[in-house]
Amino acid sequence: GRHGFVVAITGIENIGKGLIREGTGYVTFPVKYQCVVFRPFKGEILEAVVTMVNKMGFFAEAGPVQIFVSNHLIPDDMEFQSGDMPNYTTSDGSVKIQKDSEVRLKIIGTRVDATEIFCIGTIKDDFLGVINDPAAA
Amino acid sequence: MMSLVTDSPVHSSSSDDFASYLDAQLGSGSTGTSGSSADDETDNESDHESERIKRRKAEKLEILEEPEGSTSHEYSEQILDSEQIVETTIKQDSCSHPGSFGGMCMRCGKSLEEKSGVTFGYIHKGLWLANDEIARLRKTDMKNLLRYKKLYLILDLDHTLLNSTSLAHISSDEEHLRGKVDSREDVSKGSLFILEHMHTMTKLRPFVRTFLKEASEMFEMYIYTMGDRSYALEMAKLLDPKREYFHERVISRDDGTQRHQKGLDVVLGQESYVLILDDTEQAWTKHKDNLLLMERYHYFASSCQQFGFSCKSLSEMETDENEGDGALATVIGVLKRVHTIFFHELEDELAGRDVRQVLKTLRKEVLEGCKIIFSRVFPTHFPARQHQLWKMAEQLGATCTVDLDDSVTHVVATDAGTEKSRWAVKEKKSLVHPRWIEASFYFWKRQPEESFSVDQKASS
Repeated sequence: GRHGFVVAITGIENIGKGLIREGTGYVTFPVKYQCVVFRPFKGEILEAVVTMVNKMGFFAEAGPVQIFVSNHLIPDDMEFQSGDMPNYTTSDGSVKIQKDSEVRLKIIGTRVDATEIFCIGTIKDDFLGVINDPAAA
Repeated sequence: MMSLVTDSPVHSSSSDDFASYLDAQLGSGSTGTSGSSADDETDNESDHESERIKRRKAEKLEILEEPEGSTSHEYSEQILDSEQIVETTIKQDSCSHPGSFGGMCMRCGKSLEEKSGVTFGYIHKGLWLANDEIARLRKTDMKNLLRYKKLYLILDLDHTLLNSTSLAHISSDEEHLRGKVDSREDVSKGSLFILEHMHTMTKLRPFVRTFLKEASEMFEMYIYTMGDRSYALEMAKLLDPKREYFHERVISRDDGTQRHQKGLDVVLGQESYVLILDDTEQAWTKHKDNLLLMERYHYFASSCQQFGFSCKSLSEMETDENEGDGALATVIGVLKRVHTIFFHELEDELAGRDVRQVLKTLRKEVLEGCKIIFSRVFPTHFPARQHQLWKMAEQLGATCTVDLDDSVTHVVATDAGTEKSRWAVKEKKSLVHPRWIEASFYFWKRQPEESFSVDQKASS
């Protein structure tokens, strides 16, 4: 929804009168409810799982949120390597980002519409980048 | 430019102004100079510029729906952060907006109206790239090319790598196939599949698995079909069950920029390194030089009918294209030659090499040394030089002429009784059916003239 991704409904305030739809016989009720929503904010730091890596950057997801980190916002010392498992690697090979890697990134733009949440992220700042990698800084 | 991260007291005037501006905005009491306008006038252009950009960033953060718990200290840290980002990417106005995801610039996060660029929905939903960025990516990919010694290969699906038919169009003679389909469990072993939910039966072309394996070592491969996206993805699963050949490089008609044309604008590789395998020349009018035209694969009866053939189809005759010397086996040989020549025989710099040139050269070897004259092959008032066959023969390296003299080596005719035909027989020149030219074209090799003699009735 436009407020974010509904994680759980915490309470129902009231349920209005039902309206029978023409033709199908289904009934529609207007419901007022409270819920917990999840939505990303610009400037927020998130942890996400990498889903796809290519020459333009990489895509990651954090729950229902799709994040794209362009190679413009990946540190310059990381280079794209194509192949069976495309990845971004530092010149000394110590840090590698590939599918299923966990990364900490910062959101620099978000868009929420009725069915999807898109984000632009960066890992160019301090303390951002791969987590769970024993060789990482 | 100074860096605000250090708390040193050495500021340029803009830094003072900024701090005070911040204080004023956050309402936490200010002690600095009230306005910055007086100082601004004495600053130079770049200071003024970065001041404006910092203001813009500060304003943007105002809109942030941050929880009330944030202190002004945190705000200023965030602004310092974004200020650093702005400073590292500083241009006269702002970011160059190389592309967008979900409508937001992928570099600065701002909402973008699309300028000139291309949507790359097949790579990931919501992805769009500006033309400059596409050009830049194509160039930088050259490094990968050289490192892995791979060119780009675009593959068509229908009639090139496989043949599909709607279940509704299966002929009575083909019904027996229903019992012979291969399991979808382990696709790599089979070649005939039914996709119930798409009402389609698909037959993979003989040799296709070997072809893909060998081609993948020389090329980064793309699928490009005029089918819709769901069809394209299903076929990719059949051809590439381990997702090792194509990854996300599956382009369908939903991804093309033009209605009935295929184009290289949605391919992230330089045109001079791209080869295309397709059975339909008209789909690639802008890129004919990159195209290796394939002989159509007609397995099902509906396919034969669609193209006007009245013979029994391969499926009905329970036979198939020969694996060893069929179209795919032939073309992989040509691709290997192009690859070898490109990477090991060309002398100029990688940036200057062009795969289209290599193709042209290879084609010209096929009928090198032949001088051809046509007899009653073209309609009476048709300009000979414009004819398909004439142009095809010239592409293959032959010389075509309208003047009959002794240097002619081949007479192409359908009727053995014409004047030129009889001349050919008398002078011991080759008399061949036009199919000889076409066959040489599709096999990339000069065909034996005896197989195309003219008194033979054309067999289907």
